[in-house]
Amino acid sequence: MKHLTEEQLVEHYFADDANRIAAETHLRICSRCEQAYEEISNVLAVRAPHPPAQMPGYGRRVWQSIAAPLPAYPAKTKPSYFSWPRLVFVTACLFALVAAFVLGSLWQRARKLPTEAANPAQAKQRVVLFILNDHLDRSERLLVELSHAGAQSHDPADSLQANSIESEARQLLPDNRLYRQALANGSDPMMSSTLDHLERVLLEVANSPDKLNSADIERIEREMNTDSLLFQVRVLRQRNSTRENQAVSLRKGASI
Amino acid sequence: MALLRSNTGMAKNDQALIRTVLAGNKDAYGDLAERHGETMFRVAFRITESEPDAQEVVQEALLRSYRSLAEFDARSDFRTWIYRITVNCALQLLEKRKKEFAVPITEEFDEQVSGIQLADATAGPERLLLDREIEHRRHAAMEKMTEDERVAFVLRHLEGRSTEEIATALGVTPNNAKQSVFRAVQKMRRALAPLWGTPLLGRRPGVKS
Repeated sequence: MKHLTEEQLVEHYFADDANRIAAETHLRICSRCEQAYEEISNVLAVRAPHPPAQMPGYGRRVWQSIAAPLPAYPAKTKPSYFSWPRLVFVTACLFALVAAFVLGSLWQRARKLPTEAANPAQAKQRVVLFILNDHLDRSERLLVELSHAGAQSHDPADSLQANSIESEARQLLPDNRLYRQALANGSDPMMSSTLDHLERVLLEVANSPDKLNSADIERIEREMNTDSLLFQVRVLRQRNSTRENQAVSLRKGASI
Repeated sequence: MALLRSNTGMAKNDQALIRTVLAGNKDAYGDLAERHGETMFRVAFRITESEPDAQEVVQEALLRSYRSLAEFDARSDFRTWIYRITVNCALQLLEKRKKEFAVPITEEFDEQVSGIQLADATAGPERLLLDREIEHRRHAAMEKMTEDERVAFVLRHLEGRSTEEIATALGVTPNNAKQSVFRAVQKMRRALAPLWGTPLLGRRPGVKS
């Protein structure tokens, strides 16, 4: 049998125990615990002397005997919601709020304007580079075909290829003239001179009086130095591709 | 239920009186003192076991509570708050008394002051002697208790306060308050244990048999 501890017995005496019925039952059947409980009850039955009774009004009398030198609490004034300091504070807060809003708008606009101005310029540059690159690409292919046509033997297929080269040259010619004129202001001398050189070659190929044959092509290649032109076109195309990529990167950076 | 309602009503009145005092009406504190003064005196007397000391404690507690009334949390119970101040004042006075009289309390114990209620006027000399001895040991046991144990014992056993109220008064957890009560009973039990063999103490009047 598990006996009740001294602590449980004390709790039982003060009716603080969680399981009071179980404790009561145990005390009925366990003489040892019952004896211990009786001892605790006896100890707690020893009472201290009772406090002497006080006359009615005791508390008030004590207070009156000590209250004289004590100051009264200062009377609280009713809080006014329209006092001057409060109004000034609220106005200042509103002013600060409006100022912050206006400054924020101005700052945002100041940041936005250059971006907006830069974007069309970048877009224009990207379009120009794209079109120019396309033109240079087609011109390069034409020059390569011209070079191959000149190197090949004189077979019937050559006349077909020559026709195709002439036709391509006629298509490229007006575009090339337009680009050359656009760059006539000297902003890009290398491009300008290359387009000039290219135009002369295109003119020669497109305006050939007879059908082009390998001898004509070889002559054009020799006289017009098309190999050098091909190299220049490749360099320019490479340069334009790099610029185009840079423009795309800038656009992405701006959007972020 | 009625007791609970009256306690709640009293607490509401206390709050109203506190607001009046804080609004500048010093005399309203007299009503609070009147309402709680007797209980304060009783608690102070239980702890100090001396009427003049208890009077001093009540004065000091009323003074302190008035001065710090502005810091009183309106959500708290004023009765518990003033109890706590009274208990603190009583403990401080006990400490002061101990310093003033450095001799052991058991040697200077004066049974006339303590007013033992055990003795029966018609009791014989043996019974009177035994009662004197019991009171002597009880007093010594009270002196051996720590401050917390003494307050917890007085409030739980003599004032019939709940563990939660004692915990609030002492500023401890309810479990710690319960432990303090238990340790106090243990000390009292050890102090009185040698007397239980006495034939006259076989069954004490008013004790559960």
